[in-house]
Amino acid sequence: MVTETKSSQELQALLDAAVDAIIVIDHRGLIERFNRSAERLFGHDAGEVIGRNVSILMNDEDRTAHDAHLQRYVATRVPHIIGTGREVDARRKDGSIFPALLSVGAIGGAEPPRFVGIIHDNTASRRSEEDSHRLQGRLMHVSRLATVGEMASGIAHELNQPLAAIATYAHACDRLLGLPDPEIEEIQTALKQIAEQAVRAGDIIRKLRNLARTEESVRAPSDINSVISELTDLIRSDAKAHGVHYRQELAPDLPTINIDRPQIQQVVLNLVRNALEALALGQLDARELLLRTRVIAGGDVEISVCDNGPGVDSALQHRIFDPFCSTKPTGTGLGLPISRTIVHTHDGALEYQPNQPRGACFVVKLPPTRTDLR
Amino acid sequence: MKERAPTVYIVDDDDAIRSALRLLLKSVGLAAATVPSAQEFLATYDPQQPGCLILDVRMPGMSGLELQQQLNLRGAIIPVIFITGHGDVPMAVEAMQQGAFDFLQKPFRDQDLIERIQRALAKDQTGRVELRERARIKERLDSLTGREREVLDLVTSGKPNKIMAADLGVSQRTVEIHRARVMEKMGASSLAQLVRMVLDLKGGAETAA
Repeated sequence: MVTETKSSQELQALLDAAVDAIIVIDHRGLIERFNRSAERLFGHDAGEVIGRNVSILMNDEDRTAHDAHLQRYVATRVPHIIGTGREVDARRKDGSIFPALLSVGAIGGAEPPRFVGIIHDNTASRRSEEDSHRLQGRLMHVSRLATVGEMASGIAHELNQPLAAIATYAHACDRLLGLPDPEIEEIQTALKQIAEQAVRAGDIIRKLRNLARTEESVRAPSDINSVISELTDLIRSDAKAHGVHYRQELAPDLPTINIDRPQIQQVVLNLVRNALEALALGQLDARELLLRTRVIAGGDVEISVCDNGPGVDSALQHRIFDPFCSTKPTGTGLGLPISRTIVHTHDGALEYQPNQPRGACFVVKLPPTRTDLR
Repeated sequence: MKERAPTVYIVDDDDAIRSALRLLLKSVGLAAATVPSAQEFLATYDPQQPGCLILDVRMPGMSGLELQQQLNLRGAIIPVIFITGHGDVPMAVEAMQQGAFDFLQKPFRDQDLIERIQRALAKDQTGRVELRERARIKERLDSLTGREREVLDLVTSGKPNKIMAADLGVSQRTVEIHRARVMEKMGASSLAQLVRMVLDLKGGAETAA
């Protein structure tokens, strides 16, 4: 009896020294032991809870299911969470709920079985996870704005084209009408051109506005070619500004992919801008950029952005997707990591491949919209 | 020699800009030739054709600035008016440093463009007259004999006949005869005119270098 008491005291000391909450229950779910950390964490004194059902420490959902789980285990001995552990919502004495990591073990040799649960307060790590999600979201937005900003000068140039054409046509019409015998047909053609150029200017503005939207992430089955087509003018003007010959090969009849349109557009623009900047270092007259879509074996849709610039140094290839690994003096080093994150959240992959005979290829693979779940 | 009518070349990759400019020039009675790319212009350009060049700074492939450099390398005198988009000020500065005649930001006033074109055409005209004049002087200079050339150099460096005679080891009379031949062949009516011709030619050689 003395030894029994001594080992029981030692056990209590061990339990009380633990940082995490430790609770022992019997086969009916009644609490037998409740250590100091458990008192601190749940706000109950051990005396209050010993003998009561452990379900008082659970949220409503788990509470109703807990007794059934216990009975099932006692009857079948098939473990549900024993030995694995999981994240749960726990309830304090004051009724407030907090995130906790729970691991459960069955006490060997005890019959009927008893169980020990260790509960770790997960509030801090949950919060930092949420913070990092929020931060990531903000970074994506900032990066998109930065991309838009960088492209703004290209867009301004692009807008100036139709505006200059409109102004010039109008001046010409004015002067032609002042001539003694004006050719009406010629003037009519010019007026039609003016209207057409105004529409062209409007299109450019509409595309820019679509790009700068900051709405919540919404996924919808989309045709990737139409997603890319919205960017074509923008890319073309940017390519032009960099003296780059731009080509697009969009395979017809691609399966739809379930995407957040602006996010995927952001990825494409990031990759295109990287390519254009890499090409600026290359030889004039031969700078080429190819954007291609196609279906690959396995049914994924592939978007590839390939240039014939210097390519990525083999020593750097494994680091280019790391944040802040920029080779450009003005780069944030976030373009590729953010692009990869976006693609990953779409269950896709973003990879680098050397282009042949020279240059870089960035390849995005996205799974087609699943129809079997409908 | 009768001068050919000038052509205003328009090099811009934008179809609408090209056709709008052509119409504007037509409305003021100027002949325009439109070309969609710098490469195409270089391939077809006839330096004998008087005119001026309206050039878009930004174009795919060879840019306006690069075309200007190519023209400079070929010693072309055609005045270049750049038209630039928004935010291309550094490019415009570079173009001016490379000897562009002027530049305009898009969109521009018709009057501004037309005035610049007219000034550019006038400059092209004087440039061509000067070129021809220099060619004529060069031709006359080439017609001098070796001895006459020596006399020309000495005369234009201000040496009196007496000294020249001593330098060349001939009589003063002989120097006078050579000198008269030089004046006649060069078509100069005075020593001052002769000196200016020689300086013009040197100046021209320096500009072309």
